[in-house]
Amino acid sequence: MSATSHGGGLHALLTEFESPSAFMQACAKVRDAGFRHWDAHSPFPVHGLDDAMGIRGTRLPWLVLASGATGLGVATLMQWWMNAVDYPYVISGKPLFGLPAAVPVMFELTVLFSAFACFFGMWGLNGMPRLHHPLLAHDRFRRASQDRFYIVIEARDPKFDLERTRAFLASLGGSVVDEVRESVEG
Amino acid sequence: MAHHHAPTLQDTRTTLDGLGPRVFATSLAIGLVGLAAAYGLGAAQGDGLRHFAFAYLLNFAFFLAISLGALIFIGIMYVTRASWNVVIRRLAEVMAAVMPLLALMCIPVLLLTGRIYGWTDPEIASSHAMAHKVGFLNQGAFTLRWVIYFTVWSGYSLFYWRSSLAQDRSGDLKITRRFENFSGFALMICGICTAMAAFDLVMSIDPLWFSTMFGVYYWAGGFVSFFAVLTLLTLGLQRTGRLTRIVSGEHLHDYGKAMFAFTFFWGYIAFSQYMLYWYANIPEETAWYLLRSRNGWGEVARATLFCTFALPWLGLVSRWAKRNRKVLAFWAVWIIVAQWLNLYWVIMPSYSASAMFSPIAVACFVGLGGLWLAGITRLAMGGSLVPTRDPRLDDSLRFENA
Repeated sequence: MSATSHGGGLHALLTEFESPSAFMQACAKVRDAGFRHWDAHSPFPVHGLDDAMGIRGTRLPWLVLASGATGLGVATLMQWWMNAVDYPYVISGKPLFGLPAAVPVMFELTVLFSAFACFFGMWGLNGMPRLHHPLLAHDRFRRASQDRFYIVIEARDPKFDLERTRAFLASLGGSVVDEVRESVEG
Repeated sequence: MAHHHAPTLQDTRTTLDGLGPRVFATSLAIGLVGLAAAYGLGAAQGDGLRHFAFAYLLNFAFFLAISLGALIFIGIMYVTRASWNVVIRRLAEVMAAVMPLLALMCIPVLLLTGRIYGWTDPEIASSHAMAHKVGFLNQGAFTLRWVIYFTVWSGYSLFYWRSSLAQDRSGDLKITRRFENFSGFALMICGICTAMAAFDLVMSIDPLWFSTMFGVYYWAGGFVSFFAVLTLLTLGLQRTGRLTRIVSGEHLHDYGKAMFAFTFFWGYIAFSQYMLYWYANIPEETAWYLLRSRNGWGEVARATLFCTFALPWLGLVSRWAKRNRKVLAFWAVWIIVAQWLNLYWVIMPSYSASAMFSPIAVACFVGLGGLWLAGITRLAMGGSLVPTRDPRLDDSLRFENA
């Protein structure tokens, strides 16, 4: 039992690496062992980590596409309804609904809706915003932003078994295996 | 884990070798036959080569824009100190360095101005609207400007290409530093010359019409065509076992991104030019679009909207498409045809007010395209297909999209 663990239930098991190459190889092993609720933490971007972790392509582009198409539709309908239906008004001799005049707003709303979907979709898919995470209370984990690499397997993973997962992590070649506890209020 | 095994130049072939003379001879022959056919068909029209002149102008403008795209691409890469492009930059260097050949190709345009440009018509030239333009739009000033344009473009593009080859031999870092220092100024000068050239070459066909956006409109079309040609050259060379491995899916992804982005940029510019004239509705400004929206040209305009803008943009929106060789090659061919069609719609209505298919224009495309390809092949035979000792080559070989 680590001195840095706090009072709550078990959140995850963590192991630490000193070099990115050992870290990448270990990630590939965790991936091949079939874990799903786990993550890898590095102080800098490591090329190839996505493959080593077996991360699937993100669904975000589809969200952005759908949202952009919605923006395009909203802009078209809005301008048509406002200018040609709700308050028909001839402006400089143009048709009540002239497509060229509507295009700038169609473009802008497509971009705006896409950007919103991209920004907030990224937050949502990453489970944000959240005010705290059990890992942040773990003393050793502070070095994740400095000079150490971590693999964290969460207890909620269906394949998680305290003793067997601990042994598995120990076999990966990291320097230590630690328990991460859920945070406790007060 | 890709970053552990970055490919090296030893992993592939980086010279044309035996392929060079064959491609050179074939494309030269095809080019000469195409040009002869175009001239023969043109002479048979009995219109004093008027049809031929427009067809020739269209294709000269098209291939010039591609080489200008290459020249400006190189400048941008040095100004931004980009490294991803180094492994394919030699291809852009030869595409720009055929500028002296394009200068030769310009001579027929200068000889045929009387068949093409409204300002050569004494009646138009003496009209009140032309009073302040005749000092600029006349045979002498026009010819002089083309001498200046080609001096500037040839100077810069030959300097890039020759110094880059010299760096292959010496590995001198000062060459890269010098490129970085003057490329900003070079871009400015080449940009001004390109915009002015677009006004002269294409816009002044109708000397009464004007658009301040026309320069960037012409350049944007050429820039996206340049990336399409670069894609096809790269994929073609890889099929012959050259540049394999060192030009990876990551570089192709960037080609895809560039074609995607500049297809949209072209559409944005084309529409901005149109919308302002549509909205203001002033006769002297709308006349150009009126001619191009009647008698069948309107259908060509709508085809252009979809073929040149909407379809390739949608086709290249996904990451998968940008990294798939076959899909990328398909859209590259599509973009070249579509940009050509757009330029056809810009130029040919001045020849014929009703929409027509011009076999002479197609023959000229084959003719000038063949000669252009022969030119870049001849230049590429002179050295490696890769700047072998560029200081950023290593970064380029290891390049990965985030």
